[in-house]
Amino acid sequence: MSLSATRIAALTAVSAAEGEAALIAVIESKDSSRKEIADACRELARVGTKKSVKPLAALLGSAEHSHMARYGLETIADSSVDSALRSALSELKGLQRIGVIGSLGVRKDGKAVKALAGLLSDSYPVTVQAAARALGSIGGSGASKALLSALGETSGQNQLAVSEGLFRCAEGFAASGDSKQAKAIYAKLASASEFKQVERAAKAAM
Amino acid sequence: MSDSKRLLKQSMSTPHTRRRFLKTSAAGGAALMAPTLIPASALGQDGAVAPSERIVFGGIGIGNRGSFDLRMLLREPEVQFVALCDPQKGRVEAAKKLVDARYDNHDCQLYHDIRVFLAERNDIDAVLSTTGDRWHALAAIMAMRAGKDVYSEKPSCMTIKEGRAVVETAERYGRIYQTGTQRLSEANFTFANELLRTGKLGKVHTVYAHIAPWDAAEMSYDWRPEEPLPPKEECDWDHWLGPCPWRPYNSEYVKGGWRGFYDFHTSCIGEWGTHTFAQCQVAMGMQNTAALEYGYVNNPYGEGMVTVFENGVKMILTRDMEKKMLKGSCAVRYEGDEGWVTVGDGYEKPEVSSPALLENFDKVVNEYMERTGRPMNHWRNYVDCIKNRKHCVADEKVMHYSMATVHAANICMWLKRDMKYDPKKEEFINDPEANRLCSRAMREPWII
Repeated sequence: MSLSATRIAALTAVSAAEGEAALIAVIESKDSSRKEIADACRELARVGTKKSVKPLAALLGSAEHSHMARYGLETIADSSVDSALRSALSELKGLQRIGVIGSLGVRKDGKAVKALAGLLSDSYPVTVQAAARALGSIGGSGASKALLSALGETSGQNQLAVSEGLFRCAEGFAASGDSKQAKAIYAKLASASEFKQVERAAKAAM
Repeated sequence: MSDSKRLLKQSMSTPHTRRRFLKTSAAGGAALMAPTLIPASALGQDGAVAPSERIVFGGIGIGNRGSFDLRMLLREPEVQFVALCDPQKGRVEAAKKLVDARYDNHDCQLYHDIRVFLAERNDIDAVLSTTGDRWHALAAIMAMRAGKDVYSEKPSCMTIKEGRAVVETAERYGRIYQTGTQRLSEANFTFANELLRTGKLGKVHTVYAHIAPWDAAEMSYDWRPEEPLPPKEECDWDHWLGPCPWRPYNSEYVKGGWRGFYDFHTSCIGEWGTHTFAQCQVAMGMQNTAALEYGYVNNPYGEGMVTVFENGVKMILTRDMEKKMLKGSCAVRYEGDEGWVTVGDGYEKPEVSSPALLENFDKVVNEYMERTGRPMNHWRNYVDCIKNRKHCVADEKVMHYSMATVHAANICMWLKRDMKYDPKKEEFINDPEANRLCSRAMREPWII
């Protein structure tokens, strides 16, 4: 199915379900090109439902399609997306796992905190940094506890990412009225960071 | 481990060898934090500016437009560019020539990878970021996390969520941010804004915002034909794509032929709406909100789309210049019950409904500059704000909310229906499909 055919199928289908079915057929077909799958994933980001989750998740481990699979998945409200991403997190390595980490953060999946916290000591710096920022986006006590533990154990760009995660956690606490936890995080950042921009920002926020 | 992974790992574990942090200056009540200022004894200046006043700059993605911005900043006596970063060797070397010519040396350092650039150059206080649109938000966020102030060319984000992330990062780290909507620092446009703000036009009911007369609101998903990849040291295609979906290399993209593609561009509406929506929203005092209502128009461009703000004023998108008596580019027209003003690029003076409105042109502009402390020079405004830690005229919020209007107008055109937007919640009302277009998953590892 060509680009325009993909798009037309989605936009002019008699029902949304038919449009989604056509797009799923594209991503499941062995005859589809990389572009056709990318276009279908982009459309599923707009119209996909729970029915699209399994076909999209099947692409998460593909170097060619992993990003566009997440592109399709991130905007589907159904909780099965989170389950699929968590499952992929435990199975994938390298860049594909980094992408999944990012998507779990975007979706603020609280059930992913434990697994993400475990990645803060990963040997691959980009994984650590992605996990730290994702934990910050998810926020809450579990995430902030893991990040506070990691702060003193990390340095350089990893510590900068852990600090970013902690800022996000603190802002989440402050927004929910828990100024005590927010201030505790800021105090820790102000005293423990090797980065002056972090120290200054934390002091300003206190 | 692949070459790309090895490079990535190397990039992210680079030790911080040149960290120089300096004192925080009084912020005059503002929450923004002071830049890092370094002695400039080695910088070869004429002594007109004290070393403590120098601001160390780096450039990211300096191409055609970026070279213009670079030249403007190089004119400022406090500015000292020391490094440039771009995944395209030819571009970064061309920009280096400008910098080295300015300082009559060969000292400007070049970087290929923004992560290495930001991790290594802790001596840099501020950056000029003039990448393609797809990189604007991410580069700004990465730079601000690294403690840099940012001048980012427009349009400064590809989605509403990206714009919000820029605002949050600027606020989190107390960074100065200026977006390249330079008409907010030009006398003719400022005069028009002041006429509106001070009530000289009476009760304003309608404003017109020029959108670019090329391309369309509908964007292409097409790929250009695949060409052989150039050597990575000449042009790192993967880096060029950054957070966008992968597609095969074609040399036209890296020469600037990325406009019109959904993954890279914000349409004819974003191309000039970035400027004109910001003009209109600042003029109306609506710079901290976005339009509430968007009326779909059945043409390819968004011509005639009516948007409505919370003050009841209609902002109408137009590329039909003659019909609205607009000239030049990036024009705006403000209509009130007591008069009107029209201004665009190339006007000797704004056109007004009554000659009397123009009588105090210089006085109005001078009083604006005195009242706000903002000069009629966008780049100078950025430099001033780096020093005084006040907000720039096109700060992160002006950028975000005018871009939210741009993005919402685009989404209205793409989904072909009227829409209502809640600027406080930053979401469309009762339209989950539209809300799904407010963000895009970023390609690994380029994740905010």
